[in-house]
Amino acid sequence: MKTFAELNFPGRLIAVEGLDGSGKSTQIYLLKRWLEAEGIKVYFSSWNSSELVKSATSKGKKRELLTPTTFSLIHATDFADRYERHLLPLLRAGYIVLCDRYVFTAFARDVTRGCPPDWVRGIYNFAAKPDLTMFFKTDLEVSLNRILEGRPKLKFFEAGMDLRLSSDPYESFRIFQGRILEQYMAMSGEFDFVVIDANQHVEKQQAFVRKLVGEKIDLSKFKRRSPLPLPPAFPLDPAKEAEEDMAA
Amino acid sequence: MKTDSAPVKKNRKFLGHGIPHVKLDELAGKLIVVEGADGSGRSTQIARLVDWLETRGHATVPVGLKRSTLVSSELEKAQEGNILSRTTLSLFYATDFADQLENIILPALKAGFIVLADRYIYTLMARDMVRGMDEAWLKNVYGIALEPDAVFYLSLEPEELVQRNLSKSAALDYWESGMDLGLSRDMFDSFVKYQAAMQAVFRRLQKTYNFTIVDANRSVEAVTKQLRKEIRVLLGEE
Repeated sequence: MKTFAELNFPGRLIAVEGLDGSGKSTQIYLLKRWLEAEGIKVYFSSWNSSELVKSATSKGKKRELLTPTTFSLIHATDFADRYERHLLPLLRAGYIVLCDRYVFTAFARDVTRGCPPDWVRGIYNFAAKPDLTMFFKTDLEVSLNRILEGRPKLKFFEAGMDLRLSSDPYESFRIFQGRILEQYMAMSGEFDFVVIDANQHVEKQQAFVRKLVGEKIDLSKFKRRSPLPLPPAFPLDPAKEAEEDMAA
Repeated sequence: MKTDSAPVKKNRKFLGHGIPHVKLDELAGKLIVVEGADGSGRSTQIARLVDWLETRGHATVPVGLKRSTLVSSELEKAQEGNILSRTTLSLFYATDFADQLENIILPALKAGFIVLADRYIYTLMARDMVRGMDEAWLKNVYGIALEPDAVFYLSLEPEELVQRNLSKSAALDYWESGMDLGLSRDMFDSFVKYQAAMQAVFRRLQKTYNFTIVDANRSVEAVTKQLRKEIRVLLGEE
């Protein structure tokens, strides 16, 4: 698996991985804000977000129609759509692309669900390796508590209920997440994850993330060339701006 | 009429990694696949086979492409707009196939039905191979598929296919003409070139997957007669 740099793409891809509740989404969001403030060409993509495939995925999930095989394939379809239509063109155009979850999420989840590892990896072999993959590692209990505190109703597939690990969704979620963590740890070396201690304070983690990104990537090469030398004609509305960021 | 059930296929197998936790020796039914381009007489032959099989006391289940509960309508929509890139469309079709495999084909085979597939993974693979996709990648993806008991490929020259399609609907289908490939701006030319390319790929796949090539350039009855004969052997009724 070659990185985008090794494949001579002008852009770079940074991925974050980790269990639900590891705080990775917060960290990548803060990274995005920093890069934007620095005037870097940056694009953010989250897992499971292709508009086209979404309706099928949500139908499958709501009606509990998915098996391990179709769960895997429908997520691969979603990923391929984002990869071919968004990620690749942006990487060709010299963007820094931030991915909240990448193929490793599929490797971990699908194998936990019983799909053959070679099969899953083969499906995703059209995807290049991120130039940097950060794995946010919390103690299992910490991430479980974060999720279970804030959002007491667990969704069927999220809790791994399809695996019949336990009839109690909370217990099922615990076992499922534990197994996913094992899968992640097993592939950590193979895919050069930078493991970050996500039990630390948000600020401390972010400082490390920014330092790491700055070391790994020569950010000066990714500056946006300002099309207009003039300052904005209207004062910016910070509330609207924040909303747009969230929607992105 | 014989009442004994047909012999269970001895070496049932998946084409690759397969579906987890499936007990192959429980799949007592038969999976019969009919492949061929639009206009090769596929649907006609399948309808005739269903009649014939049911009259003889066999329960049948029809399956085909783009018929899954999970993604068929989304797939249809995506295709109309021609907005998906190749890998995505390919995986979308694979999802559609997998959904039917797990929810219809495998349960029906377990219940001893004869499953008649109006196209199978071979069409899906051939379409992608013609469009330059990696054969090894496709083989891995479709390694989930069960090996059929029989595959009949209805073979017809592109020149004859084009005549049959036009006489049926007075128009050629965008995808069946391979218009997305840019082979020719002329739809007639594109159809003929595309179907010739598909046929070449099918011939190649035939060597790996051992299809029975059926000459479809004959009367409907003659083709039916051959299919029945082959299926009687398969069912141990001859």
